[in-house]
Amino acid sequence: METDTGSQNTHRKPKTFDQKNWISENLNYKKDSGSWAWILHRITGIALIAYLFLHIYSLSPLTEGEVAFNNKMEAFTTPVFMVIEWLLFAFVLFHSLNGIRIVIVDWADGAKYHKQLYRLSWIVGIILFLAMGAIMFSHELKNLF
Amino acid sequence: MDIQVKILRYNPEKDSEPYYQDFHVKGVSDDWRLLDVLHEIKWNYDSSLTFRRSCAHGICGSDGMKVNGRNRLACALLLKYINTKKPIVIEPLPALPIIKDLVVDMSSFFNKYEVIKPYLITNTPPPSDSERLQSNEDAEKLFESAKCILCACCTTSCPSTWTNENYLGPAAMLKAYRFINDTRDDGADERLDILDTPDGIWRCHTIFNCIEACPKEINITWHLSQLKKRISSREM
Repeated sequence: METDTGSQNTHRKPKTFDQKNWISENLNYKKDSGSWAWILHRITGIALIAYLFLHIYSLSPLTEGEVAFNNKMEAFTTPVFMVIEWLLFAFVLFHSLNGIRIVIVDWADGAKYHKQLYRLSWIVGIILFLAMGAIMFSHELKNLF
Repeated sequence: MDIQVKILRYNPEKDSEPYYQDFHVKGVSDDWRLLDVLHEIKWNYDSSLTFRRSCAHGICGSDGMKVNGRNRLACALLLKYINTKKPIVIEPLPALPIIKDLVVDMSSFFNKYEVIKPYLITNTPPPSDSERLQSNEDAEKLFESAKCILCACCTTSCPSTWTNENYLGPAAMLKAYRFINDTRDDGADERLDILDTPDGIWRCHTIFNCIEACPKEINITWHLSQLKKRISSREM
């Protein structure tokens, strides 16, 4: 006959199911403005780091002299690259405006009106994005009208 | 009216992993709480359904669960505030191990709570003729943070908790705020030391899931931002 000595077996841990899966939890949990701001901040942040490397790479012909550099820069004046640059500006805008929002949340009382701040950053962002578009494509716009 | 309910079931003695079970519940009314629906299922459809509840009035905080993708208290949620046209999906609180059905192992949650020393720390002897008194104004400052019922809805809704099981989480740090800002307490510095660690307050990325989940409508992120400011100004 087994006797319980009362040492270790008295608190037998029940079998449990480990739910830990941060990817599926991130995909399934309901998202509000705060979650979207956080997700987009991460995505734009990683994209901007990737751009930084591309930027350094595209400047590398500088070591090969003026002609090589100018040839490379020529490629960035095509309309396709202009649109890509415009989108890059959108990433910079979101990341910086949301960064300001986070500073206001952490350092002022922004946590009390974080949803309004989120909406405001979108409004300001869209205005600046369109304004930049108007500047970048002013030549094309003039031809259009 | 009739509603469809989809519940994540898990019996450790039979199942290797959780599965969803559908219930067609008849004769419910939109002034029922979600907890009443769970009672209806347990009492009239499937008595093996397991969930926690004690007071059933939003005070004990034992029936936190994920409802339609968001952490809620089943006793503080009326059916009229849920879309009953679609099946209501009920799952246990995220990230914590499932013991059975909607019952999760809260040990890690309460271990984190104990880490921040949730009790009065004093350097002075108690007054001989009365209790330790506090002005109404000072008590008012703690009012919101002291409303917490430790239901774990906030901590388990936080993406930082999902990726780092050691992260203290909003509930524990909110309790830290409650004691750090208590005029009768002398333990602020040792608690701030605990918060100012890699698994502490700096893992709060202001995602605001905790505020959306809190059944007591506490602005947890605001309280944590006050702690962040206090730790930063202490460094300076």
